Amino acid sequence: MPFKKDFSPYVPRPATLKEKKKLSELVTLFTFELDNGKALAHRPGQFIQLSIFGVGEAPFSVSSPPDPSKQTFELAVRKIGAVTQSLHAMAPGQKVAIRGPYGTSFPVLDFVGKDTLFVAGGLGYIPLRSLLHYQLRHRSEFGRIIVLVGCRNPQERIFTDQIEELTARKDVEVLETVDIPDAAWKGNVGVITTLFPKIPIDPTNTSVAMVGPPIMYRFVLAECRKLGINPNNIFVSLERKMKCGVGKCGHCMINDLNTCMDGPVFRYTDIEAYQEAI
Amino acid sequence: MDAYIVHLERLPALFNAWAKDSALSVPSATPEGFYEFIPWNGEAEIAWDYDLIYNPPKRFVMPAKETLISFDLKDLQAKPVFEAPAQIVFGMHPYDVKAISQLDQLMELGIPDQNYLKRREATVIMALTPQSVAETAFWASVGAEEVQHGFDLYWTKIGPASFLVEVGSKKGEELLHAAAPPTRATVSEKEAARRAKIKVNQFARRKQLLYNWEETPRLLAKNWDSPLWRKNSETCLACGSCNLVCPTCYCFDLVDEVDDKLETGTRSRSWDGCMLTSFALVAGDHNFRPKALDRYRHRYFRKGKYIYDKIGELGCVGCGRCVRACTANIANPLAVFNALWEESTHAF
Ligand SMILES: Cc1cc2nc3c(=O)[nH]c(=O)nc-3n(C[C@H](O)[C@H](O)[C@H](O)COP(=O)(O)OP(=O)(O)OC[C@H]3O[C@@H](n4cnc5c(N)ncnc54)[C@H](O)[C@@H]3O)c2cc1C
Ligand code: SF4
Ligand code: SF4
Ligand code: FES
Repeated sequence: MPFKKDFSPYVPRPATLKEKKKLSELVTLFTFELDNGKALAHRPGQFIQLSIFGVGEAPFSVSSPPDPSKQTFELAVRKIGAVTQSLHAMAPGQKVAIRGPYGTSFPVLDFVGKDTLFVAGGLGYIPLRSLLHYQLRHRSEFGRIIVLVGCRNPQERIFTDQIEELTARKDVEVLETVDIPDAAWKGNVGVITTLFPKIPIDPTNTSVAMVGPPIMYRFVLAECRKLGINPNNIFVSLERKMKCGVGKCGHCMINDLNTCMDGPVFRYTDIEAYQEAI
Repeated sequence: MDAYIVHLERLPALFNAWAKDSALSVPSATPEGFYEFIPWNGEAEIAWDYDLIYNPPKRFVMPAKETLISFDLKDLQAKPVFEAPAQIVFGMHPYDVKAISQLDQLMELGIPDQNYLKRREATVIMALTPQSVAETAFWASVGAEEVQHGFDLYWTKIGPASFLVEVGSKKGEELLHAAAPPTRATVSEKEAARRAKIKVNQFARRKQLLYNWEETPRLLAKNWDSPLWRKNSETCLACGSCNLVCPTCYCFDLVDEVDDKLETGTRSRSWDGCMLTSFALVAGDHNFRPKALDRYRHRYFRKGKYIYDKIGELGCVGCGRCVRACTANIANPLAVFNALWEESTHAF
């Protein structure tokens, strides 16, 4: 790849916060626009590095689907530490700085003509939403769209109104569950794998996209195996500590893979043999 | 390769000439009884027979802390910061030269790191054939006893006051001509240098790897589950000293600093270490390498396999710094690799 001698991968570009929408107590949806007037040009599953100068930088998945008609992009961020707290304190009109998009994406073409099983645990819905909404915009090119959503408790559910809309649609099958219900919760109770028996899946024609907390993958993969889904058609996005985002700092390694460049989205069969992956 | 002869008495003139345009560092004994590269001040006593420079020379090309960008807090514009002072490091042992050559390759790979590459380009490296071998060193058994590239000049002492100087680059050759022109080496002088190298390498081989070092990645591949990782790491203090002193370790953290008026600031990188508990710890308190075993094994896999798989060289050059730095007495790649070799079956 030709790189200019004065190109520094560490320089972010300014972006302006356009809108803010609370999704849950800790998670807020942020809409940004790059100040250079260009679109972010990301693919579903990629992430960016967001800087709040003086505080630091942190990686976030782009939650909105690629959309040529739009300049803006969305991040859904949980308030948990230094950068995320500062971001949550910002008001529309204020600026941040962005590097990226970085990393691999869900190979959209691999999903064409097939059923897609989305498995979203907790914040995993955020990156999956990009692929999901991409598929919804090109609905006819994809088979069934099955969305399994799991959360620890009803208060932590995010994108609830969008999930409600999806549930109402005839061409999307949505199943939700929570680990720990409250008095008002009428839906399923149990970990996300308890949803599998509740929905018929054609293992010969289904691709899986799953993102969730580290503990989730092993159990969901076991369910997929039980169903007989081809492991070649399973895609996971993995989270790791990240600093540079460009394959240099060593923080994000899974054995000898750099999650920031070789991932975060992996075909399961590509990482099956890596002891540190799942 | 062209080679010249330089006599000891000509060195001060050469050093003084070089030091005019470049920051020149030379090996010298410190009052604490270590060896260190110190700035040439016109008269420093050169430690010709040093065994090991205390701090790894990676600091010349990747300082412990280095500014990468500067930013403006009002308009959020950021600019790259490239610092690449002209510098000459005189007297680097081949294994340390090799370590820097590895960084050259790793920083160029994929998305090039121009902060590193520019600094490297402004750095002249003068290798020196060792005359002593540190107690903890094993560079001769991991293929790091000599280097074919990565240096501008390569000095070997062949007599009480004479050096054979091999030319590694045009820049090196020009520097050699900075004072009076040097004389070309004869065949017998070249032979003397070859013997000097063989002699020290043979001595260094007293610390032996039990197998050919090129087998290391395969040895590790078979030993992910070896009980050695747990046994050795039980006493690890997670101090990260083995990372900090290692000439081939280059992992880093990124840190922001802002001025008092909150108008401008910088983002720098600083050395980090995979042996530190926080290295793979993310927000929400999830640690991707929670146990000492995970971190310890990762370090040896990086040195012995991951780096090899990337560039075809062992990521350990056998300098022995980590062996000396580890208070728990567990950071010894030679001992680790040999123990794995001994406990493995060798049906390759
Ligand atoms: C590829 C990827 C995508 C992500 N997408 C999202 C998302 O869409 N929404 C969301 O809320 N969170 C996401 N995360 C997690 C998010 O990056 C962390 O919550 C965030 O870094 C916390 O930063 P902090 O400064 O607030 O926390 P602190 O605890 O103060 O962290 C300090 C620094 O450590 C690093 N760090 C800490 N935690 C993580 C982590 N989990 N991953 C990587 N680096 C970390 C960052 O550089 C961070 O600035 C993603 C992580 C990765 C790797
Ligand atoms: S692992 Fe130890 S012996 Fe090997 S290069 Fe690093 S510090 Fe030197
Ligand atoms: S120097 Fe020794 S004790 Fe410290 S982190 Fe390395 S192996 Fe552990
Ligand atoms: S985040 Fe630095 S190497 Fe991946």
